[in-house]
Amino acid sequence: MTREEFLLEMDGMLGLRPGTLRGTEKLEELESWDSTALVGMIVLAESANDTEISLDEVVGCSTVGDLLRIAGVEGNCC
Amino acid sequence: MTPETLHMQEEILRELRFPATAASILRKRQQLRKELLAQPNLLQKRIAILGGSTTTEVRSMLELFLLAHGIEPAFYESGYNRYAEDVLFDNPQLTSFHPDIVFLHTGWQNVSEFPELLESGEEVEQRLCREIGRFQTIWEKIHTQLGAVIVQNNFDLPRLRPLGNLDGSETYGRVSFLMRLNAEFAAYARTHQHFLINDIHYLSAQMGLDAWHGHTYWYNFHMAVTPAATVALARNVAGIIKAVFGKSRKCLVLDLDNTLWGGVIGDDGVQNLILGRDHPVGEAFLDFQRYVKALQRRGVILAVCSKNDPENAKAGFDHPDGILKLEDFSAFKANWNPKPDNIREIAAELNIGLDSMVFVDDNPAERALVASQLPEVATPEVGTNAARFAEILESEYFFETHRVVQDDLGRSAYYGSNAQRSASQATFRDYGEYLLSLEMKAEIASFTPVYLERITQLINKTNQFNLTTRRYTSAEVEEIAQNPGYVTLYGRLADRFGDNGLVTVLIGRVAGEALEIDLWLMSCRVLNREMELSMFDALVEACQSRGLRRIVGTYTPSKKNAMVADHYAKLGFQRIESASEGQTSWVWEIPEVYLPGHRSIVRISKSAAADEARAGTATAVLESVGA
Repeated sequence: MTREEFLLEMDGMLGLRPGTLRGTEKLEELESWDSTALVGMIVLAESANDTEISLDEVVGCSTVGDLLRIAGVEGNCC
Repeated sequence: MTPETLHMQEEILRELRFPATAASILRKRQQLRKELLAQPNLLQKRIAILGGSTTTEVRSMLELFLLAHGIEPAFYESGYNRYAEDVLFDNPQLTSFHPDIVFLHTGWQNVSEFPELLESGEEVEQRLCREIGRFQTIWEKIHTQLGAVIVQNNFDLPRLRPLGNLDGSETYGRVSFLMRLNAEFAAYARTHQHFLINDIHYLSAQMGLDAWHGHTYWYNFHMAVTPAATVALARNVAGIIKAVFGKSRKCLVLDLDNTLWGGVIGDDGVQNLILGRDHPVGEAFLDFQRYVKALQRRGVILAVCSKNDPENAKAGFDHPDGILKLEDFSAFKANWNPKPDNIREIAAELNIGLDSMVFVDDNPAERALVASQLPEVATPEVGTNAARFAEILESEYFFETHRVVQDDLGRSAYYGSNAQRSASQATFRDYGEYLLSLEMKAEIASFTPVYLERITQLINKTNQFNLTTRRYTSAEVEEIAQNPGYVTLYGRLADRFGDNGLVTVLIGRVAGEALEIDLWLMSCRVLNREMELSMFDALVEACQSRGLRRIVGTYTPSKKNAMVADHYAKLGFQRIESASEGQTSWVWEIPEVYLPGHRSIVRISKSAAADEARAGTATAVLESVGA
């Protein structure tokens, strides 16, 4: 999965228009952010990465960029 | 609902159908929720989730699955692991929420005391009693204070077994202890009508404990189960709640060739069908037939819809290894007409709605045609592998039931008898003569405990002959039955072809000198049999015995109850007002002397009905209650 694809998935999950998220946003400041959204992101990151996300990685997530990093797609471009 | 709306709804529901994954649902959660909330005629219900772990994700998924079943939930959520405190210490927020359902989302992590190593059997037994007692106190408090139906998780198993295999065999082992607790929970469910088990022991076994429990989700969020498991759990709970509120489907419509047996009966002949233990595919078809037979035995109506010559199609049931027999089917359409037309005819013949039907066909083109032309009919993507038909059917909870009552067992027999009744009807000069020939006998009486489950079932699933379409839980029905401020009546009807069972229910609220009819419904089994007239006679007698002067009735229109719009007018009521949305109110002044007109149904007492049931006939005792 590329960085852009992951961001588009995140847009969809949060009910945002495609292309809204850029990667620099703080999770807490996203309008429809809630714990279910975070769980959804982890599911998404795990499926993108095909591996279990480690405990401390989740604790450290505060921006969309952090999620891209733990999903292993930060450097992936199309 | 317009066809376009129905198609859109079907598309949305497809997103949630098995095997939708947590990832695919979570991706579209917001959009799905928005679209599902836009459906018309959602049934609003209040659900309290009391959790032994985090419940936010459970609520989120449960909401989607309930909306998919046409139920719009309002939720109350306890604080983390406060499932006991919220109930035992009278949380006013929970009390004022007035839940219809209380879902206790607990798991093995919430067992307060596991046995110690080498503890004696007697000590383990004492622990077991204390643990069960703790839960029973919660359940009984919920029942008495909230009057809600309880949906309680039983126990899943932990991933780890400190004692290895001994965990399951020694009485002090955790696995062993949890299995005992599950048996006790099940025993409680068998003896308490308002208490239903959400079987997470089964769900976790089905999924596998490694997929059920997840470190990331437990240690970060204290979610007892993974998101994938949350989907399975929410789907299961929604299935239970749907059944409680009468939203389960009633009829399974089956194709024949390559659906109930391998091969094409018209080409291959019965002797060459692939069906039986001597062939792996034949064995899969046999097991599917066995599953369908089990559904039929517990009350699901079966119908055939096949492109075949009728005689060929029927011959398939002569296969010596077949489990299903021709008499198991209440409707049989084998011809060359389009399947949507046949399914419409089956619905009309059985007098059920299209939204009560599930269609199973191995042919994707036929499925697509039915799905596009009859979106109300559930058409699961069963594929072509007979070994998977049953599990795909089951995964959708189409026929979930929270109780099996005696009347369910007789449903197929009833539909079989109904065909005989129809044939008989054709030989009479007029309808009145036909009705008399049926030798109908009705038992009409106040609600009695033995029938409360069936009464609740009827209240929650009857749509057509239903004046107000009010739905009540079994707890509410029980309360009404005991409340002297209500007049309650149920009616059973038997005729010379068989017993139709308990088919009609009436609830009226006493208001001064009037009785206000809160609910009056009748099963489509006995429409046009004048049973409503006998019920009215019994109602008048009940009102007279209480000194009431008038009866007030209301008709509240729904999508399906147009047939009773003039019910009160036909009974001679005077219209008094019209409220919003087509609702009408009617009044009937009770005369000093009430003389029922000529009735084609003889009313018999409960004891006489019991005698007849024992004798297996509806022709013996003619003890008229009204005389």
